[in-house]
Amino acid sequence: MHGRNEARLTLTLGHLYPDQLNLYGDRGNILTLKRRCELRGIELRVVGLGIGDALAPDEYDLLFIGGGQDKEQAPVAQDLFETKGIGLWAAIEDDMPVLAVCGGYQLLAHYYRPAEGPDMKGLGVFDAWTVHKGPRTPRCIGDVVISWNGMTVVGFENHGGRTYLGTARPLGKVLKGHGNNAEDGTEGAVYRNAYGTYLHGSLLPKNPHFADYLIGLALQRKYGLRRLTNLSMPPGEIFNGSTPAQLTPADDPTTLLRPLDDHLEWQAHAAILERLGLYEEAVAALRRAEAA
Amino acid sequence: MQQHWPSPVISQGPNQSESRGSRWLRPKKGRPEAKPGSVTGAARAGQRSRRRRLPLRAALAVISGRAAGALSRRLHLGGGTSIVGLVAQRLYPDIIRHLATQLEHGSVLVTGTNGKTTTSGFLAAILRDAGLRVWRNREGANLLRGVAGALVVRALPSGNLRRGGQAISVFEIDEAVMPQAVRLLEPRAAVFVNLFRDQLDRYGEVESVAALWRQMVKGLPETTTLVLNADDPTTASLGELARGPVLYFGLEDLTLDLSGQGGQGTAGTYQAVDSRSCVRCGSDYRYSARFYSHMGHYQCPHCGLERPAPTVRALQVRQDTFDRLRVTVETPTQLGEIVIPLPGLYNVYNALAAIAVAQALGISWEPIVSGIEQFKPAFGRGERVQVAGRTLRLLLAKNPTGLNEVLRTLFSEGTPRHILFVLNDNIADGRDVSWIWDVDFERAQGLTASLTVAGTRAFDLALRLKYAGFAPEEMTIIPSTPLRALEELTGSQARGRKGRGRGRARHQLQQHQAVAAKTGPKVSAAAEEGATSLGETATPFPGYGLATALEQAIEQTPVGETLFIVPTYTGLLELHRELERRGLTPHYWEGQD
Repeated sequence: MHGRNEARLTLTLGHLYPDQLNLYGDRGNILTLKRRCELRGIELRVVGLGIGDALAPDEYDLLFIGGGQDKEQAPVAQDLFETKGIGLWAAIEDDMPVLAVCGGYQLLAHYYRPAEGPDMKGLGVFDAWTVHKGPRTPRCIGDVVISWNGMTVVGFENHGGRTYLGTARPLGKVLKGHGNNAEDGTEGAVYRNAYGTYLHGSLLPKNPHFADYLIGLALQRKYGLRRLTNLSMPPGEIFNGSTPAQLTPADDPTTLLRPLDDHLEWQAHAAILERLGLYEEAVAALRRAEAA
Repeated sequence: MQQHWPSPVISQGPNQSESRGSRWLRPKKGRPEAKPGSVTGAARAGQRSRRRRLPLRAALAVISGRAAGALSRRLHLGGGTSIVGLVAQRLYPDIIRHLATQLEHGSVLVTGTNGKTTTSGFLAAILRDAGLRVWRNREGANLLRGVAGALVVRALPSGNLRRGGQAISVFEIDEAVMPQAVRLLEPRAAVFVNLFRDQLDRYGEVESVAALWRQMVKGLPETTTLVLNADDPTTASLGELARGPVLYFGLEDLTLDLSGQGGQGTAGTYQAVDSRSCVRCGSDYRYSARFYSHMGHYQCPHCGLERPAPTVRALQVRQDTFDRLRVTVETPTQLGEIVIPLPGLYNVYNALAAIAVAQALGISWEPIVSGIEQFKPAFGRGERVQVAGRTLRLLLAKNPTGLNEVLRTLFSEGTPRHILFVLNDNIADGRDVSWIWDVDFERAQGLTASLTVAGTRAFDLALRLKYAGFAPEEMTIIPSTPLRALEELTGSQARGRKGRGRGRARHQLQQHQAVAAKTGPKVSAAAEEGATSLGETATPFPGYGLATALEQAIEQTPVGETLFIVPTYTGLLELHRELERRGLTPHYWEGQD
């Protein structure tokens, strides 16, 4: 029923280092983006970008980079710097949505300073840096909740390094858990449409609002609002009831997307909130599913 | 670099007095710090052991430990031998070493991420059939206190082992505790079955366990035979560091190769690969055959490191029925066929490991065959339980590779199965459940005759299944605890839901079965349909808790059919207690050994 080719929207997701940075169920993020696009008749092509592959910014609409083992992070850091750096910078400056989780997040900051040995150089997209304070300092492990855009985002964190923000904006404020460094209550970092975060678990399945936000950003960037209104597809297929022409670019890009049945997603989200004692927030999360 | 090609069968006399005598002369070195998750007392235990050994103290430790155990059973606090060991170790930190020296045939230690219990089970069965008295630690009690407990319950109040003659101990040991266990027990053989990603929050990364093992192997005495999985690159690489003999086991049946069938990343054959790069130079391995995860015939294109040729080899694996694997095994002295009475390729590795150890200990072929063929699986490792006319089969799965292999075993024939998944995130399971996204649940889609999802993380798993193409209506979701926020939202339903939910679940099930019967595997269509009908899918849960989940799952399984239960570790323990409460399994402190 979505099959009219001329109207089919297509997005291309570049998955950076799928073989090296795949430790914390990062596949869940990809599956979520793919399925949420497909249910709306948008084709999401996923292209793996391994070590040695160049990153041509005009070939992608969305980028994802996950976390991996320390042992596998060093060659990745080198490749990111030498092979993909320029392309990635260009993409980010051109407002491409980028999601970087855990190790990927650290690689997009200035540097990672291990307890012993030399610094690992990052790309410096986020004005932030990470320090591992040695085996005496406990890892930040556990369920984590942050507030983002007035809503909750839930996940699981497991990182030894502490990240400190310079001028970078945090993604959200920690409500429960550790966040960037267990000290200042910040979590993640944002630069233009690039989002770095320690939240996995996987992040996107239980946070459908954040997944849709990224998809919306990518659609907005690729097709622009005017293009979208000209498509021959009936608006209800992709869009919310309102005609996109009435929207301004400043609007929440998720309003472009047709809502899905996310009862299970929000229940899973609420279950985490509730076990952390955030009861009111859990009710609010479940209300979102009903409102959709 | 030193090369250790496996020597042929290592047969050592049963009397190990030589090695035991020398243990006190061993230089003190390479004592790593206690690792998280291990018994911190153990490091101290080693230090204190430099004091004189006091038989009186051993006697006191034995008596107190056993008294604590008796009390604990009496008060129904739990049946583990761990409390026995814990108390005994407190009173005499060196109790393990003290008692282990009295075992006539010494000890064998088995470690690895998956398959410890089954491998040591196979080995114990073989050794028993060979006429030895085999002592094991209780499944799951694989920290030092569990080992101490297993020895103490067999000790006399005098502080000496009861009937140490003809005795050998086979202990399964937690990966992180292996260094301490090796130091205390000085085993005749140390078996490393495999190394996979497991409980990242507890063990850290796979690489940190590997580093721990490497350190330990360097310090092993020459009298310890290393038994290693040739097909697991990280495990096999330990052989280069060993001072004593090394035996490798591995698969040679190339028809089991997955790489020809799509390989990594292709839908339907997704593999969670946990060791990817060469231990020596860091380049990615190349595989000429891959059996599952990172198990296979590998080679490093950069430095030339390659899979060692195994001494104990499975030349051919044929599946007769679901749980009858016919394996042609070749060892330096034997070539024969063995029927493994368990499902799954991983159990072939477990059997090969046990065969390799048995050969290293000089056991003849007959007990090896009979031990494996008449093996009774441990609880949760494919064991059968009869309930109300249905058969329950419990298949523990605690990490991505384990679960992938269980799913492959269950669904590769295309037979629809009744399934109960239990996903917990207690400390013993690992708090982080993100690994479920690396499991190939897609392969089960359209093949579940009924599907119940339970555990402390039931919602996470249900969501994973939804994204694998299951419609929420196909699943009966029974979380461990109520979602209070949902009760508030749905208002007055809170009290009445239990009954209504149940009826509804049944109704849904019948509907689903009818649909499934008509449309076969076209579940994705149903999933899309489900996604569009808003509101209708606010799933009311037919109750909470594992007891309810079990009841539901059994109810959905017609009489005469089999319900496959796939739990994580604490889920398995909970199920065990639940079945025990119904009088369906023996109390676990009265186990077979």
